[in-house]
Amino acid sequence: MSMEDQTVAEPILSMNSVEVLYDNVLLAIKGVSIEVPKGKMVALLGSNGAGKSTTLKAISGLLKAERGHISRGEIRFRGTAITEVLAQNRVEMGICHVIEGRRVFEHLTPDENLIAAAPLGMNRAALNAEKDRIYNYFPRLAERRNSLAGYLSGGEQQMLAIGRALVTQPDLLMLDEPSLGLAPFLVAEIFDMIKKINREEGLSVLLVEQNALAALEVVSDGYLIENGRVVMHDTAEALKANSDIQDFYLGGKEGSNFHNVKHYSRRKRWLS
Amino acid sequence: MDPVFLAELAINGALTGLLYSLFAIGLVLIYKASSVPNLAQGGLTMVGAYVVLALARDVGMPLWLAIPIAVAIMFGLGFGIERVALRRLAGRPVVMILMITLGLDIFLRGTTLAVWGGTSRSMELGVSYEPLFLGDILVSRIHLVGAFVAVMFFAAFLLFFRTRLGIKLRAIADDYMASWSVGISVERGIGLSWGLASVVAVSAGVIWGEIQGVDQALSLLLLKGLTVAVLGGLDSILGAIVAGIILGVVENVGADFLDPLVGGGSRELIVAAVLILTIMIRPHGLFGRHDIERV
Repeated sequence: MSMEDQTVAEPILSMNSVEVLYDNVLLAIKGVSIEVPKGKMVALLGSNGAGKSTTLKAISGLLKAERGHISRGEIRFRGTAITEVLAQNRVEMGICHVIEGRRVFEHLTPDENLIAAAPLGMNRAALNAEKDRIYNYFPRLAERRNSLAGYLSGGEQQMLAIGRALVTQPDLLMLDEPSLGLAPFLVAEIFDMIKKINREEGLSVLLVEQNALAALEVVSDGYLIENGRVVMHDTAEALKANSDIQDFYLGGKEGSNFHNVKHYSRRKRWLS
Repeated sequence: MDPVFLAELAINGALTGLLYSLFAIGLVLIYKASSVPNLAQGGLTMVGAYVVLALARDVGMPLWLAIPIAVAIMFGLGFGIERVALRRLAGRPVVMILMITLGLDIFLRGTTLAVWGGTSRSMELGVSYEPLFLGDILVSRIHLVGAFVAVMFFAAFLLFFRTRLGIKLRAIADDYMASWSVGISVERGIGLSWGLASVVAVSAGVIWGEIQGVDQALSLLLLKGLTVAVLGGLDSILGAIVAGIILGVVENVGADFLDPLVGGGSRELIVAAVLILTIMIRPHGLFGRHDIERV
């Protein structure tokens, strides 16, 4: 994607050269710049420990709970700088982060999980409508709405975690590894549902995934992060066709040689 | 043994036990939100009693006015403790929060000693000391009143935890990070649990202050309250009620059997044995939740 294309669509989120420190010493991301255009789905790809989750936590403000902070750079949400805004206020502004590992409220029922996430100001009728909307998207949850969330299957818990986030009425939904530990057919089901919500409600989505194959099927563009830096940014189509990405993240083509591609990240550092 | 006398021991034991429950409910409220047994609950209970006395005796308010005002003051104090002492510890190891509550208990004891001295003062609730006869069984009126208050609190919290605010508090107890991620203010939730525990502390302070006088010894209720809370499961209000009754009965009946044999003082031993055995045999107590393991 050329630079002109990016400036045409107004970004709902823009992150500019953000650097994150944990415990004042550990540099987790080293100047990450990404943009999520309004109503689009964007993927952040990369291997374990590359800085994908840290990037999401910087945006949602959950960094603070892990003794991290943004030491440089700026994050703007709908044009407003949010770097100093408390996490709970960012949720009010419309950013919701589905954290890694599902983390449903295990001792609450799915119904109560949804109620817990609803703002106290939401009236009873609106809350019921909201619950119906979520159960409509994820009918499996409706069947188990009164059993403890801790006893749901992994896929159901992931659906609940996403549903719980949707109750907060986000404009930007961030998902951290929703496919982790799930059977492929469930991953497809969940990604299809996210795509559907994106299409029907214009929800912008920032998706962090190690499962690049599944992610690139649903997003419009993707960033590749390595060692705390963005090393590649392109449309999903172009990324799928890129031979380096194929080799490293999509399982590789038959007969391809590792040695030929291992220096690709140094070549493609132009975006960081 | 005379069955009527045994029944009397059991009933009065159960009533006393419910008074331990009243104290233990405060511990449970804080444990639910912070996963920490609040070692300052005894101090809070004592302060609650002193605040009521200060308003009633020193300011001269009638008790029906002094108690609600004390409840409001103590709610504010509990909320303030989170703001001043606990907020900066969010995310730190639980043992540090435990130590803060211990420090707080010492602080509250020292402050009350400095302000009101060590002399025991009486609460004078106006409940008659004439025992009540249920058939042939003698029952203490103030214990009956206290047990009623404990059951009312139990019912009120049972309902509260079904409300939207209560569900948010339970969510906080489950997972801080997930709560933050959906915009729940964990800090305010913990503050609320401290506020509510302080309100319970006022009621426990008033009832126990009436029974044994208001002095430093009120803070020692922590030991029995903690035993009840652990036996009940630390995070279960129902557990606190049931365990209170059990401990009260075991203690009262058991002491009657054991005291002649050991020459007195077996009550404390029974409480200690219950605490130690619970932790050894059933660490999550009677109704405490285990962590869910899916198959």
